[in-house]
Amino acid sequence: MSLFVYFWLLLKACLFSTGGFGNVPSLHSDLLARGWANEQEFGEALSVGQVSPGPNGLWVISLGYLMAGVGGAMLALVAIILPPLLVLVVERFYRRIQHHPAVEGFMRGLSLAVVGIFVVVMLRLLHGIGLEAKSVLITLASIGLGITGRVPVIIILALAAAGGLLLF
Amino acid sequence: MLKFWLSLGTQSFGGGTATLALIRREVVDRNKWMDDSEFVKDWALCQISPGINLLGMTILLGRRLGGTPGIAIALFGLLFPSTVITVVITAFYAHFKDLATVRAALHGVIPATVGLGLLTAFKMVWPLLQTSKREGGGPLAFACALAVGAGLAVAAANAPVVLVLCAAGGLGALFWHAWSKKHSPDGRTP
Repeated sequence: MSLFVYFWLLLKACLFSTGGFGNVPSLHSDLLARGWANEQEFGEALSVGQVSPGPNGLWVISLGYLMAGVGGAMLALVAIILPPLLVLVVERFYRRIQHHPAVEGFMRGLSLAVVGIFVVVMLRLLHGIGLEAKSVLITLASIGLGITGRVPVIIILALAAAGGLLLF
Repeated sequence: MLKFWLSLGTQSFGGGTATLALIRREVVDRNKWMDDSEFVKDWALCQISPGINLLGMTILLGRRLGGTPGIAIALFGLLFPSTVITVVITAFYAHFKDLATVRAALHGVIPATVGLGLLTAFKMVWPLLQTSKREGGGPLAFACALAVGAGLAVAAANAPVVLVLCAAGGLGALFWHAWSKKHSPDGRTP
């Protein structure tokens, strides 16, 4: 595994996406194709990202650690810090062109595609751990709890872990 | 100021939504460094910037509070504790992942992550679809087709993700540019 290519793949994924999970689709396809990470590790890293403090986007650091130890985690940290700095540039330009319909249209098309692909990745994660009724049940239960907006994420995940201990 | 960001970086267990809520409470309600409308404007800018929105927000707030050094302090303060904790949790997990109990617990956590992820996807797509719905049936159908089409292109045809994203952005630009020309108040066809 080339660390340079590894860093570039991470940086590229963060550069061409917005939001902590926007990079999931491209990382998922790039890293799995190279065999550097597997479905299981993706699920684990995304779960750690939900539990740990700070932005959800730190899940990439967890994935980096699983793939290449502390060095991998540090490179991942650099790869996620650099792209957001462009907000300073965006701020300057956006105020001028924000109302151009083509710019708005591009952003909307991009966001819609990100969501569509994101759903596919989520379903593949579920498939990756072995699709069975018990897993789907936990998925539905967590959606139910999440939709209320009252139960903290960490509690939902703790309940899911307890459910896992009981069911599997 | 470093203490302020460090405390945010340590306290905000439970992901991005929790962190944003915590930042808003500290910056707007407690310290009154900015008002709600400024906060929302900055947040909107972060949504269209590359990378993690919350880091963009941290950068804008850091600059507002202390110029360029403010950016460095804010990023360090927010990321240092949270990165260390993330690595420690992962390392802990990687060490014990072969234990049957840890595996069973994780077997429960991953489907829940998927559930919360699907909920996030829904929250992301809902305002986009609402905007399209206000524009009419055509734009709404087009928006749905883009999202579903992008998913299918990757799921069924294994299309490269970056390509699909760029294509969707391009199609969106073309469609809404044409649509707004047709529907602008001074356009010829009402």
